[in-house]
Amino acid sequence: MKYLSEYRDPVLARSLVDRILGAATRPRVIMEVCGGQTHTIVRQGLQELLKDAVDMIHGPGCPVCVTPLEQIDRALYLAARPEVIFTSFGDMLRVPGSDCDLLQIRARGGEVRVVYSPLDALEIARAHPDREVVFFAVGFETTAPANAMAVWQARELGVSNFSVLVSHVTVPPAIRAILDAPDNRVEAFLAAGHVCTVMGWKEYEPLAAQYAVPIVVTGFEPVDILEGIYMAVRQLEEGRAEVENQYARSVRRSGNEPAQELVSKVFELVDRSWRGIGEIPASGLGLREEFEALDAEKKFDLGSIRTSEPEECMAGEVLRGRIKPFECPAFGTVCTPEKPLGAPMVSSEGACAAYYNYARFQSEPAGETV
Amino acid sequence: MTKESRPLDRDPEGGIARVASAGLTCPVPAGEVDRVLLGHGSGGKLSAALLRDQFLPHFGNVVLAELGDAAVVPVPGDEIAVSTDSFVVSPLEFPGGNIGHLAVHGTVNDLAMMGAEPLYLSAGFILEEGLPFDVLDRVIEAMASAAADAGVIVVTGDTKVVERGKADGLFINTTGIGRLDPEFRPGPTRAREGDAVLVSGPIGRHGVAIMAAREDLRFEVEVRSDTACLAPLVLDLRGVCGSAIHSLRDPTRGGVASALNEIAASSGVCIRLEEGDLPIPGPVRAACEMLGLDPLYVANEGILVAIVAPEKAGAALEALRSHPAGEAAIRIGTVTGDRPGLVLLRTGLGASRVVDMLPGDQLPRIC
Amino acid sequence: MCLGIPGKVTEVYGSEGLQMGTVDFGGVRREVCLAYVADEVEAGDYVIVHVGFAISRVDEEEARRTFKLLEELSELDELQWMKEVAEQSLAGLDSPGGPSNEGTGGTPAGGQA
Repeated sequence: MKYLSEYRDPVLARSLVDRILGAATRPRVIMEVCGGQTHTIVRQGLQELLKDAVDMIHGPGCPVCVTPLEQIDRALYLAARPEVIFTSFGDMLRVPGSDCDLLQIRARGGEVRVVYSPLDALEIARAHPDREVVFFAVGFETTAPANAMAVWQARELGVSNFSVLVSHVTVPPAIRAILDAPDNRVEAFLAAGHVCTVMGWKEYEPLAAQYAVPIVVTGFEPVDILEGIYMAVRQLEEGRAEVENQYARSVRRSGNEPAQELVSKVFELVDRSWRGIGEIPASGLGLREEFEALDAEKKFDLGSIRTSEPEECMAGEVLRGRIKPFECPAFGTVCTPEKPLGAPMVSSEGACAAYYNYARFQSEPAGETV
Repeated sequence: MTKESRPLDRDPEGGIARVASAGLTCPVPAGEVDRVLLGHGSGGKLSAALLRDQFLPHFGNVVLAELGDAAVVPVPGDEIAVSTDSFVVSPLEFPGGNIGHLAVHGTVNDLAMMGAEPLYLSAGFILEEGLPFDVLDRVIEAMASAAADAGVIVVTGDTKVVERGKADGLFINTTGIGRLDPEFRPGPTRAREGDAVLVSGPIGRHGVAIMAAREDLRFEVEVRSDTACLAPLVLDLRGVCGSAIHSLRDPTRGGVASALNEIAASSGVCIRLEEGDLPIPGPVRAACEMLGLDPLYVANEGILVAIVAPEKAGAALEALRSHPAGEAAIRIGTVTGDRPGLVLLRTGLGASRVVDMLPGDQLPRIC
Repeated sequence: MCLGIPGKVTEVYGSEGLQMGTVDFGGVRREVCLAYVADEVEAGDYVIVHVGFAISRVDEEEARRTFKLLEELSELDELQWMKEVAEQSLAGLDSPGGPSNEGTGGTPAGGQA
């Protein structure tokens, strides 16, 4: 596949690994924020290859994982209603709420449908005027333009039986929260290539300057990630702290302006709670008041939902990069993909699931080489 | 027949006369019947007509024509292989075949994986009221032609009809009986350290074809289901390699990954795969990329994995490649003795990762 | 966050006020909303698509940069093999279908469906 396969070339990847190993004068701590990058790193065994030069810490880059428990419970409530067709991206279906998950609601008779695009959810609403269609609008800034367009088109076309349950979060406040933590070990960041395709990288410049951390906007394939790591290591070795762009084939400094424009017409910045982490001010997107009629939280009486999170779940520590998944006592024992305690074990971008699925054996007693 | 005392509502779809508010249905159709009616399941004249007009013309054989309560067939030897499977796929028809192909190939292949030569099939149908006859016809024709290709006969069957909404069009169960050769008994516990892991063809086609045929994801792809009869391939493997064939598995739901995990667990061995050797067709790879799926977990209906003693691996590949269904056969890995129960994949970069069993279905993801 | 993959725009059309297109992802085709790249994309261009929306047009010149960089590095080190690989990859980018190999060798002639 063009513009994909080339970035998986093993020879290029190995040469970059050699470059990184040669450049680092001491082990460097680098955090990748995006779940898609975590997925590639763990799945390709990149950190094994880099282990003497780089300690990769996985950040909270999985919007599925950080969707607040209250929103999941609201989704479950809506999906169970007989008049509702609940539509969602696939990865939300197994995320545990307080009681169960969307797949179980479907088994109990709720109509839950996976869609690839928010516009497909809108189509379902138009095809079923007698039902209420709710779309679970989850994601980082990458997905906001798509979700915004679905809302905008619904209004333009006068579709009244469509609404969205919003759970959008934005990246820079999360990075700031990580940098502000007193025990922060992260020396450099790989910023998320597709978030930055939409938003550009202007917002990261003040972060790099204020905290003196290199930030490299990076893609998702092995060659991209290795090149991004190499650029970050070079900056650290040279004492620089700038924003650089590895993913230049898709990202420009100003990002995608038409997308940003529609997002700001439909959404506004709100405070958001990140599951496992807590509230981060101005870190989320909510629907503007004029789109109230399309806001599922206003349209339906969601009442007071009591949430409860299993105590043993250490998702927060994992999402902040404080521990690796296998350092959680529940990992692989009480908490597995079949019976997840928290979201990072469900979403295939979640660090816990990535480790469980791909690297479980590497985290076993020392001395194991494969 | 019920006496109606109120005006009849003509059911626009099939000529069934219904008495609206009483909810009673007159089972005798008023006109030309072009779809399944509840009456077809009631054991009376309509049922007989269904059997005579829809099923027997395709399945005609001496045993079935007897229409006894049970089939009486000669069975050789002390042991026979028996396998049963139910088929509930939706949509019923998809690029490369229909549920009828799956229903025959699936059970025939399960018998073949045990080293058995498939002989007989039973076929049980649960039909949904309203299923159009032309769809039913294509399904039965597919079953008949698949059975003929596989050299099996359908000796007995059953049909039931359920109300609209209670079956996705139709469900099929097939049970198969096969003849065993005492010298040829591949099984999941027989994989040994050093064995070669082979696959008979490209992976991921069936699952992608089904996903593309479903409404919700709305993508188009030129991938056809690989549904095929594997019995002739197994016959050749038996002839050329005999007991050097340790295990055979057809990786249906859960894909190659699940089938290999089962063998690794049953045999207490480790299976190591080479990522670069996996035969994944371009469009399958592209569809999986788009949806964030791993081809190793995508369903197949016309390939097998074979665990073969190393000295016979070359001969086995040659035997497979002499068939159209096996022309792309390739070695994808090796059985080792360390890490028992695990399936590991070596990536192009030289690192290894676990290929685990999935907890449930793969879900398309956004991240 | 975000599964975005590159595909080639094969046709562009309008639908209900939105610029839409058909995008081919190496043999898989889907309808994609091009509203966010409307002014810069035409049939034949490559775009990055996330959940049915094109979020950027692939900048082909930039795409070559990675390989040019490695080519330069290999010249510095006189590592001929790296130079050859980089050149092959650049040649692959020039051809209409991209590289014909999915990574390492060993896969039989694919495309069987």
